[in-house]
Amino acid sequence: MMEEEAGETPGLHRSTAPHNFHFYHMDLYDSEDRLQIFPEENTRMRREVVQAEITSEPRGAVKGKTQRDLEEEVDELVHLYGLEDDHELGDEFVDETTPRIEVSEYPPYGMTRREPAREQRDWRLSAEAAETQDLGFGGWGSAGQCQDLREAYRYTHGRASEEYECYVIPEEEDEEEAADVFCVTCKTPIRALEKVFDEHKEHEVTPLNKALESAKDEIHKNMYKLEKQIIEMENFASHLEEVFITVEENFGRQEQNFESHYNEILETLAQKYEEKIQVLGEKKKEKLEALYGQLVSCGENLDTCKELMETIEEMCHEEKVDFIKDAVAMADRLGKFLKTETDVEISAQPDFEDQTLDFSDVEQLMGAINTIPAPSAPVINPQAPNSATGSSVRVCWSLYSDDTVESYQLSYRPVQDGSPGKDHTEFTMTVKETYCSVTNLVPNTQYEFWVTAQNRTGLSPASERAVYMTAPSPPVIKSKEIRSCEEAALICWESGNLNPVDSYTVELTQAETPEASGVTESVVGIPTCEALVQLQPRQSYTIYVRALNVGGPSARSQPATVHTTGSYFHLNEQTCHPWLTISEDGLTVVRSERKTSAGELPTSNTRFTRCVAVLGNLIPVRGRHYWEVEVDERLDYTVGVAFEDVPKQEDLGADSLSWCLRHTFASSRHKYEFLHNKTTPDIRITVSPRKIGILLDYENSKLSFFNMDISQHLYTFSCQFHQFVHPCFSLEKPGCLKIHNGISMPKHVTFY
Amino acid sequence: MLRISWRRLALKQISSDKCFGGLQKVFGHDIYLPPKAETGKCPALYWLSGLTCTEQNFISKSGYHQAASEHGLVIIAPDTSPCGCNIKGEDESWDFGTGAGFYVDATEDPWETNYRMYSYVTEELPQLINANFPVDPQRMSIFGHSLGGHEALTCALKNPGKYKSVLAFAPICNPVLCAWGKKAFSGYLGTDQNKLKAYDATHLVKAYPDSQLDILIDQGKEDQFLSDGQLLPGNFIAACTEKIPVVFRLQEGYDHSNYFIETFIADHIRCHAKYLNA
Repeated sequence: MMEEEAGETPGLHRSTAPHNFHFYHMDLYDSEDRLQIFPEENTRMRREVVQAEITSEPRGAVKGKTQRDLEEEVDELVHLYGLEDDHELGDEFVDETTPRIEVSEYPPYGMTRREPAREQRDWRLSAEAAETQDLGFGGWGSAGQCQDLREAYRYTHGRASEEYECYVIPEEEDEEEAADVFCVTCKTPIRALEKVFDEHKEHEVTPLNKALESAKDEIHKNMYKLEKQIIEMENFASHLEEVFITVEENFGRQEQNFESHYNEILETLAQKYEEKIQVLGEKKKEKLEALYGQLVSCGENLDTCKELMETIEEMCHEEKVDFIKDAVAMADRLGKFLKTETDVEISAQPDFEDQTLDFSDVEQLMGAINTIPAPSAPVINPQAPNSATGSSVRVCWSLYSDDTVESYQLSYRPVQDGSPGKDHTEFTMTVKETYCSVTNLVPNTQYEFWVTAQNRTGLSPASERAVYMTAPSPPVIKSKEIRSCEEAALICWESGNLNPVDSYTVELTQAETPEASGVTESVVGIPTCEALVQLQPRQSYTIYVRALNVGGPSARSQPATVHTTGSYFHLNEQTCHPWLTISEDGLTVVRSERKTSAGELPTSNTRFTRCVAVLGNLIPVRGRHYWEVEVDERLDYTVGVAFEDVPKQEDLGADSLSWCLRHTFASSRHKYEFLHNKTTPDIRITVSPRKIGILLDYENSKLSFFNMDISQHLYTFSCQFHQFVHPCFSLEKPGCLKIHNGISMPKHVTFY
Repeated sequence: MLRISWRRLALKQISSDKCFGGLQKVFGHDIYLPPKAETGKCPALYWLSGLTCTEQNFISKSGYHQAASEHGLVIIAPDTSPCGCNIKGEDESWDFGTGAGFYVDATEDPWETNYRMYSYVTEELPQLINANFPVDPQRMSIFGHSLGGHEALTCALKNPGKYKSVLAFAPICNPVLCAWGKKAFSGYLGTDQNKLKAYDATHLVKAYPDSQLDILIDQGKEDQFLSDGQLLPGNFIAACTEKIPVVFRLQEGYDHSNYFIETFIADHIRCHAKYLNA
């Protein structure tokens, strides 16, 4: 009905399509009784309303004829909105939507108002057309029509969204007699002079600009409301679209279902018919044969009787002697013949036996039309990558398309790892969807899942079993062991998982960038619990680590912060001489006053036992590293670098595995030695350093010492570092050394 | 080669040879201009030669050009004493008169007119250089060998802040107490001990106002003048202790020769560059 009209009148098409759209799904959902939702009466009524609007006299100022059409439209809208006196506002409504909402009983969805007058004309025209047309409802639900509807829907949908992008607030037109105030009572602009004596004398007035502002505000509010409504409507429409598709699918499936069932019933009936016909034919043949046999024997009897009669008649004409002879013989024969009883009972009845027709199976089939077969076993999917979290997995499966399923039973249990005595309980849950997020699982653990489908007819067999794995627990960064330099950082962490994981990912976020910008870099596929990551100099990074397995990545670890200003290291407590204590921050070494220790310390390959020393853990990166040591001028100390395998039972500088500055203070004289292989150049230093800068330069194979307070270069070793060295610190007398690192290299040290 | 008296302030170029991308110019005092000087002003580094040495000793023997070129330093090497003054007794001994001006402003007759090496080195020469070459007057340093080392120390200690850094090879550290110094000082300056001490580095240390001076001294351990007690670095170090930062490096196996200078000259220039280019 309506779509036919739409075909004739494109203008109407646009506006009516949403109406149709609005109705169609109800049709699909409900019975055909409800389809007459557009009775003729309704159409006519609406038309009348529209006509009434059209004929209402335009109000307001006199305008040019060329503008007349527009004026009419505007005026109508103004009228509809009850804003009769606000012409300027009325103009704005030309582009607004749903002005008809008050007069139309239909949802205003998607109505376009760009050319309202023409539209109304079209409307009227089509309404007339509609009157002349047969309003009977054509067959709904054919694919073609549905397609039309969808197109119509999309069209209006598109239009609706486009149009809302242009709100034009026209400028106030200059009138000949420029009104400068606004009469609130009359809701009209007037000239200030009129206020004094005219009918506006008693009226409340406001400045025109103010009135304009408030009117504009009002309009903007309305626009906002409308915008909201549009969004709602668009959402509603997309929801409808979804429903539309679902209905189509569901009904299609039901159609197939019906078809197969009815075919089955028809086949069964045809088979039954064949059977019955066959049985009937056989019966008929049998009966006819029996009757025929009876007829034949009856005829034979008759012949015999006739023959006897003839014989007897002949005997009657014979002589007495012959007669007597024959008569005796005859009498015997007759006696015998008469003794045989003539069967006159009809062997077969002409009517049918009362044969009941058994339709029970057909009935059952008929009954089964509305029931559905029990589903077949669902197919469980293998685990999708990155779908798991530490405590949950998302299990997915699929059903055969013919099956109708009401719910699924998902069961799981942890995969047995052969450890006996553990309670591997099975869990089962019922879900409606073909997926389920199973929560409250143990991280980094394998679970076995299987699923059965169910409908009111019955339960399917169980699917195959699939193994899913939960993601690992987040690792724990060992913040205290992070080492860094200007170009790189060495990050260490604990797995956080009992079972091994596949790999780790390190994520770096530059601290300057706002949190929202997120990850700037990821290092993936790290097999071990430490990673050397390349970084930009003099930046701050926030670092996270994730563990990964087949199930996916773990949550992020707690963040750790790395600064790439200078080199940063901690002291290696494993190398620390027992007499030394390392402060909480790992950067102050203290040798306290104490009596000489009783007895020799056990020798060790890692721990210093002779010189009271400790090594620092410098990042194994070639390049330049700089750190400072704060010392007491009267303290005996040794600072420098050493290979990790430097003999721990010897003094630093006593062999070729360490390079050191040794300071001794005796009888108020300072002695500075730059020791390597037990030898030192003869160097005197007049001002004792309190803060020693140490520059380790792998690139130039140099190790330099500086008095940082006065930027004085003290000494430079030229040395070949065939492997990585570590800072070393030794205290020959009680006292303390304070290490400063993570500081940028002063410019002057770069000259050496 | 034509020589120009140090007293003649007008510059006359004697030679200009390309060397390490820069130009070695001889003006009676040698000036090495690094490549960098073609585009901008460079710091000036003054080299003072030792007893009997002329600037040619330094140029040809020490091979400093590469380091100077690398760090962009203008190196000026003035003569150690006035030439051609024809003063009686000028050439009588190697450690007094010609070649041994001792970088003092002489007050004794007949030297007082021409032998004003201290003023020349600290005032006149820098003015001349600043006016004629692309050097930055705010950035200058001084170093020298033996007597020149003494002069370098003296100039720096007498003019706090004038020189960014001062370095010396085997300097005469305490001339008032050594034989050379006694002879020269008494000859040029007379017998007033206070006048003498005004040119003695070890004494000047005591009056030096602050410690904003970084001194590096390299001394050959096998230097005969060290063992002869002419250099006396120990006195200077003792005076500097806890007052002026000195790094004194006693270099094993080296003597007083130019080979010693050649070995460490690049190190010294780099050290100057640290302060001059800071």
